Amino acid sequence: MSEPGVDRPADRGAGAPSPQHDDTDDLAMAEAPRRGAGKRITALVHSRVGVIVLVVAIFFAMWLLGGAQPVATRQLLTLAVWGVMLGGVLALGSIGLTLIYGVLKFPNFSHGALVAIGAYTAFAVMAVLPEGPRLGPFSFGWEFLAALVVAMPVVGLVALAVDRVIYRRLRNQNAALVLFAMASLGMAFFLRSGIYMIWGPDFHFFYQGRPNPALNLPFNVRVQADQLFILALALALVLLVYLLLTRTRMGKAMRATADNPQLAQVRGIDTERVIAWTWVLSGALAAAGGAMYGLTSQLRPEMGFWLLLPMFAGTIMGGIGSPLGALVGAMIIGIVTQMSAAFLNPAYGPAIAFILMIVMLILRPQGLFGKPGG
Amino acid sequence: MPLLNVNSITTGYADMEVLTDVSIAVNEGEIVSIIGPNGAGKSTLMKAVFGLLHPWQGSITLGDRDISRYSPFEIVAQRMCYVPQVANVFTTLSVEENLELGGFTLEKREIDAAKERVYELFPVLKERRRQKAGTMSGGQRQMVAMGSALMLNPVLLLLDEPSAGLSPKLVDMIFERIVTINATGVAVLMVEQNAQESLRMAHRGYVLANGENRFEGAAKSLLEDPEVGRLYLGG
Repeated sequence: MSEPGVDRPADRGAGAPSPQHDDTDDLAMAEAPRRGAGKRITALVHSRVGVIVLVVAIFFAMWLLGGAQPVATRQLLTLAVWGVMLGGVLALGSIGLTLIYGVLKFPNFSHGALVAIGAYTAFAVMAVLPEGPRLGPFSFGWEFLAALVVAMPVVGLVALAVDRVIYRRLRNQNAALVLFAMASLGMAFFLRSGIYMIWGPDFHFFYQGRPNPALNLPFNVRVQADQLFILALALALVLLVYLLLTRTRMGKAMRATADNPQLAQVRGIDTERVIAWTWVLSGALAAAGGAMYGLTSQLRPEMGFWLLLPMFAGTIMGGIGSPLGALVGAMIIGIVTQMSAAFLNPAYGPAIAFILMIVMLILRPQGLFGKPGG
Repeated sequence: MPLLNVNSITTGYADMEVLTDVSIAVNEGEIVSIIGPNGAGKSTLMKAVFGLLHPWQGSITLGDRDISRYSPFEIVAQRMCYVPQVANVFTTLSVEENLELGGFTLEKREIDAAKERVYELFPVLKERRRQKAGTMSGGQRQMVAMGSALMLNPVLLLLDEPSAGLSPKLVDMIFERIVTINATGVAVLMVEQNAQESLRMAHRGYVLANGENRFEGAAKSLLEDPEVGRLYLGG
């Protein structure tokens, strides 16, 4: 995979030059051999593989700097598995962010608040349902699954309502994109205040004092059954989003609207409907992420804000606008955050993730799977 | 009664008036070509006809329907399709997905039949149906764009500068296809820089200048008109 230009379509060089060719990065790589070794190395460093290698190298360099304490492979493996799970939860938020950015072209700063509302909605539903027995090895009963099923459409509708009240008006006035971003920041505060008003500033737990024993997996990896459930559900939802985007009419319409909104209208797509469904889908995914996060952590009104940052980091690392990139980016952020706990105070985990994000922004601003300039 | 009737429209962007009192008509089965110098308002007229811009005054009818206030997706439902001059394919989507989106309002079964029809017209698209449209050459992109617009089997096809940026050989090929498409009963309204060639294949033509109607008539008589020739055909 390290050969430059290996993912170039075979006939790209053969076709007539096209005026809108914006894939300058790949072209630069293709032309590199003619421009000498220095240029070639630069091109390699900026390529997808180069950036990944560098990210991994920096990570290990930090580990060495941190003293390279002898860490048991067992612990590293466990942390890596936890990282994948955190990544799965983050990915549900990152994919929503990237879909909204793709279709509406603004960063939705209130996305974290949607995650938090999802967690609190699930909490509210569980509070009114009778507490059932535990399901198998999991710490939760059927009422959690019911809460998940309720929270997803509820938050989807909250997201849609916010669009109707704020963003659609801005669209109708052809407002500048920065106003959308500012409005979403305001909305983040508004929604968080709503959580304070309804549920108060105290921490909440889905279950008080329930034991949640860890399972012993092969290679001495210790994880809770709940965490495996979270990972499985997150991956299942990501797969569903992928199928939705590639197989269904609405999914193709979403991709078309993200690609070129005016052409989408010209092709007979009602872009307002596409936008509405994008909000519902993103809201539902955020709610699932929030509810799943609540299973392993306490709920607090600020949780949305703290989750927003790593979700954004994942989106940016993967390339904003690319759902696959959001998944991969969120996984990297999750794994790095958890694994850095092997050699650093866990409180610094997010910082390591952000250092990697900054490295990415310097070397390959379009992210792993993004288009240059996009 | 004409199929499309643009009835003395005045429109523009924000508060800049581009078109003043412009009227054109397209009859069923016709190729109508609009020519004129740069900045004459040709593309703006196309956008107004397609609902991307609404007339400030005047009206636009398709068949017996007033479409002056329709959105593009409502106009597509009336089977009038439009190929913009630039950015006319979804670059991140495959050829096949581009065509399927052209037939967005169709049933699955109809989409397959429509795709076959387009592949028959542009066989190269079938070979390349899995390729991303953004990686194709200019001529092939134009085929994808026209193919997408043909998915709905339109009664009227709007083409904005179909020959822009293409080599002379490809221009001939695209013009040839336009005649073929027209022969299947699709009326065509096109805007062209390539005035001579487009009038040669058109039935009727309009000359637009400074956002106003200047000349109109049978394509042949426009080609032979010495004043049109001197001012707009470079002869």
